[in-house]
Amino acid sequence: MKAARFDYLRPASVVEAVAALAQDAGAKPVAGGQSLGPMLNLRLARPSTLVDVSKIADLRRVDERPDGVLYGAAITHAEFEDGTVPDPTPGFLARVAHGIAYRAVRNRGTVGGSLVHADPAADWPTTLTALGARVVLAGPSGARELALEDFILGAFSTALADGEIVTGVFIPRCSPQARFGYRKSCRKVGEFAEAMCAVLADPARGVHRLVVGATEGRHIVVTEAAAVIADPALLDARLTAAGLAAEPATLRLHQKVVRQAIEQLTTVPETESLPA
Amino acid sequence: MIPIKLEVNGRPIEVRVEPRQHLADFLREEMLLTATHLGCEHGVCGACTVLIDGAPARSCIAFPAMLDGARITTVEGLADDAVAAELREAFMDEHGLQCGFCTPGMLVMARDIVLRRPQADEDVIRHELAGNLCRCTGYVGIIRAIRKVAAGRADAVVTRGTVLEPPAYASPLALPVSPARVAVEAPLAPSPAAAMAGAGEGEAEAEPLRNPVELSESFEVPAPRAEVWALFQSPEQVIACLPGARLTAPSDGRTLKAEMVVKLGPMQAAFGGAGRITPDAANWSGTIDGRGVDARSATQVRARLGYRLAEIEADAATRVSVDVAYVLQGPLAQMSRGAIARDVAARLTQAFAANLAATVKGETPAAQNASLDAGALAWSVIKGWLARLFGRG
Repeated sequence: MKAARFDYLRPASVVEAVAALAQDAGAKPVAGGQSLGPMLNLRLARPSTLVDVSKIADLRRVDERPDGVLYGAAITHAEFEDGTVPDPTPGFLARVAHGIAYRAVRNRGTVGGSLVHADPAADWPTTLTALGARVVLAGPSGARELALEDFILGAFSTALADGEIVTGVFIPRCSPQARFGYRKSCRKVGEFAEAMCAVLADPARGVHRLVVGATEGRHIVVTEAAAVIADPALLDARLTAAGLAAEPATLRLHQKVVRQAIEQLTTVPETESLPA
Repeated sequence: MIPIKLEVNGRPIEVRVEPRQHLADFLREEMLLTATHLGCEHGVCGACTVLIDGAPARSCIAFPAMLDGARITTVEGLADDAVAAELREAFMDEHGLQCGFCTPGMLVMARDIVLRRPQADEDVIRHELAGNLCRCTGYVGIIRAIRKVAAGRADAVVTRGTVLEPPAYASPLALPVSPARVAVEAPLAPSPAAAMAGAGEGEAEAEPLRNPVELSESFEVPAPRAEVWALFQSPEQVIACLPGARLTAPSDGRTLKAEMVVKLGPMQAAFGGAGRITPDAANWSGTIDGRGVDARSATQVRARLGYRLAEIEADAATRVSVDVAYVLQGPLAQMSRGAIARDVAARLTQAFAANLAATVKGETPAAQNASLDAGALAWSVIKGWLARLFGRG
């Protein structure tokens, strides 16, 4: 046995999960466990209790609305990839999901878990921020909703309060003409990205958003991105301010990835031979 | 121990499992199904890939306790599977294995690929197989074997992800809680006498850090330089400004023993260690060198904090420049990736600067005794700086 000892709880509802977490400061929620699992095995994470939220009905629910889709936090990457769940965008979610880690990981890893883990180099935090997603949280003091860019505060750091869990993520509906560019640079398919950029251009809704991920900390979020899309050089100052210019190669990589993502707004993206 | 029901290779199983036992260990040690191989045991190599409810998954980072009701299929369970039989034949024909260690995982994944992506070309197969590492064959034979089987399958059969159902019951359990955090003394810690003894030992102590991560911060405090200097000579006050840090023994002013808790997502490290304070009064500067070990992960850190004080506004205020350099070695460094550790260190430096300014002004440091929960407690202190940095103020 690799992991240190922990207790295991499988609450039946969000209320029970929140209560279990509130009782024990050392307890951690777990869903797919694809990021937590390695940390448990390396004993870098030693929760006293794992509170399994992966089978809570509310977290497995998908709620289609006129203005978008509310996904339960425990929907897996593979379910997005396979189109098992509805997609309020013209196919963007399946494309993103296909590039996450490996299929064996996608079968178990969940969208909510990815957002809560808040790895700056992970796919969902960057791409869903670009799509203007909102997270739904439940905690001891009730439910609340946050824009994703206000939820992720930095590397592995979120606005989640003690005892709070993410129950769902709401992704707004795009117009059918919307275009999405997403590019990441990985040493190897499925590895963590060294640079990534997602950009959404949806002129019909007047939405242009660009997000740079795999930074050293918080994502760079441009909410009014029409000007940056026209001239990516405008972003250089912010890449430098985010500390990405310390290594010239890192800056070049991010600049290139931003430009490639923007180019995808007008070209058909390659799917297989490139990591994203 | 938790009672669970599983179906393993078609056989219904009722057992009690310890929550921390991973599926691969359970299959190998309890079920004696040793075809599932363990490589890295942290989800990187793919050797332990099995089917959970028909979908491939890493058995080393899945826990049977969480899989109540699931259907598990190992490569032994694919003995009579038609697709697996074709793949075995093709792996033999095309030299798809050499030592065979990765082969069980390769076969499970290959079966999923040909079912999910019939007619897959080499690009697709390489992409889909990227999570399974082979150290012998160079993949060429494996890819050829999978391609051969995929080419023969015209019908698109898409396997679905795990079907999860809401749980029927909640199961409160009682196991001993996790072991208490233990801080250890770092091996270094020269005695005060030794530290003061001679230049020779002093130089050995000050050996340069190799490939350190370096951070600089500078800020102004509204107090005369002598007052700020006095603060830097007090280990109690300096340590109080570091989020999550505390002295573990009273300091003699030249050496210190301290413990520091750093949280990085679900990871938590408690570095126990010793440091040496070297003031350079003539230049209003000094260094604090330290070494620490996180007893739980055996991660080592070596760090140096340098400070310089400059008079400004006719000595009504002081400009403090802080340079931090550190080297992190061990599992935590491996897991956290350089850039992220750097982000945390940058925030620690920021919080340190903010707390120091507050202390000089006679205020209580905001994040005193609170560990830097990467943004929770110290977040209020550094929010303004981040807002400026990211232009979101």
